[in-house]
Amino acid sequence: MQEDANAGGTVVLRDRYYIHAGSPLPDLDTPSAQAFVVEDRRDSARLLYALICRPDLPPRVNVMRALKGVQNPGLQTLVEWGVVPWAPVGRNCMAVVYERPMGGRVMTSLTAEIKRVEEHEVTRRMLTPIIGALRELNSRAVTHRAIRPTNMYYMDADRERIVLGDCVTAPPAYDQPLLFEPVESGMSLPFGRGSGNYGDDLYALGASLVLLLLGRNPVAHLTDEQLLKQKIVYGSYVALVGDQRLPISMIELLRGVLCDDPHERWKLDSLDLWLSGRRLSPLQTKLEKRTQRAFVFNGKEYSTSRELAMAFVRRWDDAIPLVLEGKLEIWMRRAIEDKERADQIAAAVRNAAGSPGDRRIALDVMLARVCILLDPLAPIRYKGLAMMPDGFGSALAVLMSQQSSDIRLFTEMIQREIPKLWFETRAAYDPDHSVMQSSFRDLKEQLVRPGLGFGLERCLYEMNEALACQSPLIAQDYVVEIRDLLPALNNAAKRADGKTLPVDRHVAAFIVARFKYDLEKALTVLNEDTPDRQLVGMLSLLALLQWRLGPETLFGLTSWIGGLTGPIIASFHSRETRRMLEREIPRLVRKGSLIELFRLLDNTEERQKDEYGFQQARAQYAAASAEISELDSSGEERDAFALRVGQQTAALTSVLIALATMSILVIMKVW
Amino acid sequence: MAAKQQAKARGGQQRTQGGGMRWIMMLAVTAAVPFSLPTILLLFVGLLPTLVAALVDRGPNRYAWLCVGGLNLSGVAPFLFGLWFSGHSMSAALDILFDVFPLIVMYGSAAIGWLLYRAMPPVVGALLALRAQRRVTVLRNEQRRLVEAWGEDVAEEEVG
Repeated sequence: MQEDANAGGTVVLRDRYYIHAGSPLPDLDTPSAQAFVVEDRRDSARLLYALICRPDLPPRVNVMRALKGVQNPGLQTLVEWGVVPWAPVGRNCMAVVYERPMGGRVMTSLTAEIKRVEEHEVTRRMLTPIIGALRELNSRAVTHRAIRPTNMYYMDADRERIVLGDCVTAPPAYDQPLLFEPVESGMSLPFGRGSGNYGDDLYALGASLVLLLLGRNPVAHLTDEQLLKQKIVYGSYVALVGDQRLPISMIELLRGVLCDDPHERWKLDSLDLWLSGRRLSPLQTKLEKRTQRAFVFNGKEYSTSRELAMAFVRRWDDAIPLVLEGKLEIWMRRAIEDKERADQIAAAVRNAAGSPGDRRIALDVMLARVCILLDPLAPIRYKGLAMMPDGFGSALAVLMSQQSSDIRLFTEMIQREIPKLWFETRAAYDPDHSVMQSSFRDLKEQLVRPGLGFGLERCLYEMNEALACQSPLIAQDYVVEIRDLLPALNNAAKRADGKTLPVDRHVAAFIVARFKYDLEKALTVLNEDTPDRQLVGMLSLLALLQWRLGPETLFGLTSWIGGLTGPIIASFHSRETRRMLEREIPRLVRKGSLIELFRLLDNTEERQKDEYGFQQARAQYAAASAEISELDSSGEERDAFALRVGQQTAALTSVLIALATMSILVIMKVW
Repeated sequence: MAAKQQAKARGGQQRTQGGGMRWIMMLAVTAAVPFSLPTILLLFVGLLPTLVAALVDRGPNRYAWLCVGGLNLSGVAPFLFGLWFSGHSMSAALDILFDVFPLIVMYGSAAIGWLLYRAMPPVVGALLALRAQRRVTVLRNEQRRLVEAWGEDVAEEEVG
């Protein structure tokens, strides 16, 4: 992190941009970020502002990287981005610095009325620069996903040039009202819409164009549910335009970009042709076939399979018995007259009925499959969750930051391979789908492993490559880059309880997901049963980070870990070794080196010596015990031995005395 | 079978040889009786405690007759030598046997032998117990040193 807090509510980003927390710009706020005045240290005349992101939402860092410094007439220039200490919320936050628009917002709210933009002005002031901007985004392989009149600005004071506003401070399409989202994306939860494709941006552009041409929101009176239903029943163009009068030249364009079939929807090339004056025949709305005999579910009649699938998702538990009874299959075969899908539904029901495992799970999977069969273009839906395949990452991030109970559903979706059902029903091969399918397989593997470095947290960081580490220990430091982790933990040492481990589930998962190094061995040790081995694994992980990424000294963190090494010291048997370690650890703590601390505490040679010595000592102790026991228990044997030896000694003494007496007498008599 | 028969034959031969020797010695002693009757009388009466000790000792080691016998012989020997060097007659032998002092000396020395036989095992036992106690002390000190160097775990039984 290169930012420093400054006194007086001002922080500096990358030593250049002063963000004044005391000077908010509410007119430039977005639904997910607040705007503040920014001063450029090198060019004080430059008008800039910063958007401070909400800490609980994952910003689109990959898009920030792609768009930083890009100068495009249709795009607000993203000048700089980075993490700053933000006093109002008492933690670090992501800040994004933009050039300040001088003409204000195109529409201040979706319920406001503005002066209608004339047909000839639309092309010059809006379409030409914005299509250029979309082309720029296209070339950088990113989508905008926040195109709406309330996020468009007049860049100049004369209000001659309209630009697209911020698209990085929230997950893709998170702040988009349903009005600007295609039907499929609109059915998804806002946090699970995913990056989508350029067609989604063109759709949003078309919907925005309708509002600008009319000078108001024609569907402001409708709820999201009503609007979605109208889009499904009548098609987006009719739902949005209705019987409003629009310039004839615009109808062709609007029908093209608001087309509900993603394959038929206009591409950028079609827009270029239109801009160059070539007129194409307007696309006619293709609506799903409505049956004569409606399917009655929960007291309501449904005439299309898409509407029925939506109803099933809303009343999940009520739908299962109907599908099991075979009514849906019959309806599909006779009313919709789609034998192929009817067969697939029948097969799904048969599989569920014959499933050997938990019946409840089998039925949930069956209904998820049936919903996909009923509406193959819809998001992946499971009970209360509905997400596009590329929106799973941001969805998980939001669910976890909100600590939502839907996390359980999310986990079930991955474990029960619901995304796989969605991919299996794609009509055409898409290489992106293969990559995503492989990722979901990996996620399932990570999810089922219970230890540190795996589980839901690992999925979170694998699916959100730019998400800050969510560990409560360092959440306030907003650590996005792996090299910022150790300094953050070093700072956390000052405020953390000394008994808390510096590596929790989030930190471990963050390291494994971001640090591209072989960590399998360290993870294995980290997840062993004994506290001393867990500590060694943790130290190994952190020491490896310090070795590869620095910094050279981490006094706080080393001291923190030094205070936790009790179980490691206690794992050595030799008291002398323990005393040596207790002497050495404070010395290494003063050096601030996790690497040396790790080398000291995980010295294989010392460990083997200790173990060998301990085994020898244990054998000696056991031998001594056995001998003592033998000595204690051998009283009778010793008495018998004493009797025998005593009698032998007495006999020998007696015989020797007899021999001596005889000898003396012989000598006396002879001499 | 052949080996068994051979071993049997060898055992029989040894028994025959041992029995022969015994018979020769008994014949020699019987032949010497008329010439050494005073000595035999003195020895019989003097070594009576030894004979008694040999008869009453039912212990596994049968060392009582040796203990009593050795010192009993030491008590008898001065009078036996006196008998031999003073004419070796029955009257001299009877004089010795009818005198109280020689009997006290002969039977007293036998009593000392008996006392030795009875006293020595407890003494040896006490010495052995003392040695065992000292060994236990050494071993306990060694165990204490091991515990100090390696901790209480060193005393735990290894599982498996």
